[in-house]
Amino acid sequence: MNRYERAAAAAVLLMLVAGAAIFFYAPTDYLQGPVQRIFYLHVSSAIAAYGCFAVVLVGGVIYLKNESPAADRFARAGALVGVVFTTVTLVMGMLWAKPIWGTYWTWDARLTSTLVLWMIYAGYLLVRRFADPGRSAARLAAVVGIFGFVDVPVVHFSVTWWRTQHPGPIVVNDALPPEMLATFFFTLACTLVLAAVMIAIRYRIETLLDAKQQAFEPAPVIAAEPAP
Amino acid sequence: MNPVRVAIAVARKDLRSEWRTRELVPALAQFIILALLIANFGFQIDSRNANTIVPGVLWLALVFAGLVAFGRTFAAEREQASLEAMLLTPASPVAIFAGKALAALALLVACEAVMLPALALFFGVPIGVDTVMAVLLATVGMAALGCLFSAMVARVRARELLLPLLTLPLWIPFIVAGGQAVQSAMGVSSDYEEAIGLLIDFDILFVVLTSLAARFVLDE
Repeated sequence: MNRYERAAAAAVLLMLVAGAAIFFYAPTDYLQGPVQRIFYLHVSSAIAAYGCFAVVLVGGVIYLKNESPAADRFARAGALVGVVFTTVTLVMGMLWAKPIWGTYWTWDARLTSTLVLWMIYAGYLLVRRFADPGRSAARLAAVVGIFGFVDVPVVHFSVTWWRTQHPGPIVVNDALPPEMLATFFFTLACTLVLAAVMIAIRYRIETLLDAKQQAFEPAPVIAAEPAP
Repeated sequence: MNPVRVAIAVARKDLRSEWRTRELVPALAQFIILALLIANFGFQIDSRNANTIVPGVLWLALVFAGLVAFGRTFAAEREQASLEAMLLTPASPVAIFAGKALAALALLVACEAVMLPALALFFGVPIGVDTVMAVLLATVGMAALGCLFSAMVARVRARELLLPLLTLPLWIPFIVAGGQAVQSAMGVSSDYEEAIGLLIDFDILFVVLTSLAARFVLDE
């Protein structure tokens, strides 16, 4: 096993331990019953997704500043992993909402802004697919990543202005018993480790792809594209 | 070179070429009328439900007309490779971008001048100063964002596909606040002042952000 495989195995093991804590250590919620156990992974993966998109933001800003291919590779890796965690958040949230709210989907502020978040970074991944790899694609993607990060709080704020029914932040205002709190923070830590390992592996893949495509070699000097 | 004069010169060039060819605005006006026709059959709009449905029709038609318009913003530059020539001049890229955005804004406003009377005519809804102001305020920010992404995807293979996918999510704040404002103007909800305030905030935020980003987008 090389070090990437070892890291992946460790992350999976940690997630299994977190799963055991969620199902066997944390007490069952009095009102919501076992459905409440979705909360631990749902909130953790949402936080992990925000972390990944912060990587995209920082990578994009650094890339625009000094054209560092490494920053761009981190941004690419962060976007992909972030979309995965956003998908997990959305799907788990819908599974929770069906028994508790009686519907899979409602146009609540947090749901809407999370969906927009998913759309923006899915668009980011499409940019990477359609644009020819290289400087202009990296630049375009960096701008998309930065605007996306700005847009999400704006969408959230503008929708919250009129309607919201998502549960508020229960972790910070001390509404959870200590076992639940411990399970939550343990799951959060494991999820963040998993996200970091996924980004590291994806970074390695992007490095190999760039080397194969020679995407960041100095561009040959050519005349402007002739009219078709 | 004075950036304001450069921006006005670029905008005048775009508007003059549109005036001479008269391609985009008639096509967009026709597109909008077709969208209203489809909305009429899709929704069964009558005098009882018009005020609740028409705000949605307005934004749908405007957003998709805007996407068509911004798909063409850099078409002339691409086909004639004239953007490179413009960038070779001492004019700052941000001023050139501002000029393109101003021209796109003017074309979109021309389409709205067709759409809003058509809405009033076909669906019998009141279109007053409050509706016009909400639509115009939203158009400013939408034009800045649309022009930025139009410039960026101009050199990408699947630009017709990418432009809507990138632009629409970023337009959503304008549609949320603008939708609220138009609904209030048509009497189906309240909070008109808050919605207009938000639109102004978003305009300022995104105009500043796009002018910061324009340097990286045009400066090749």
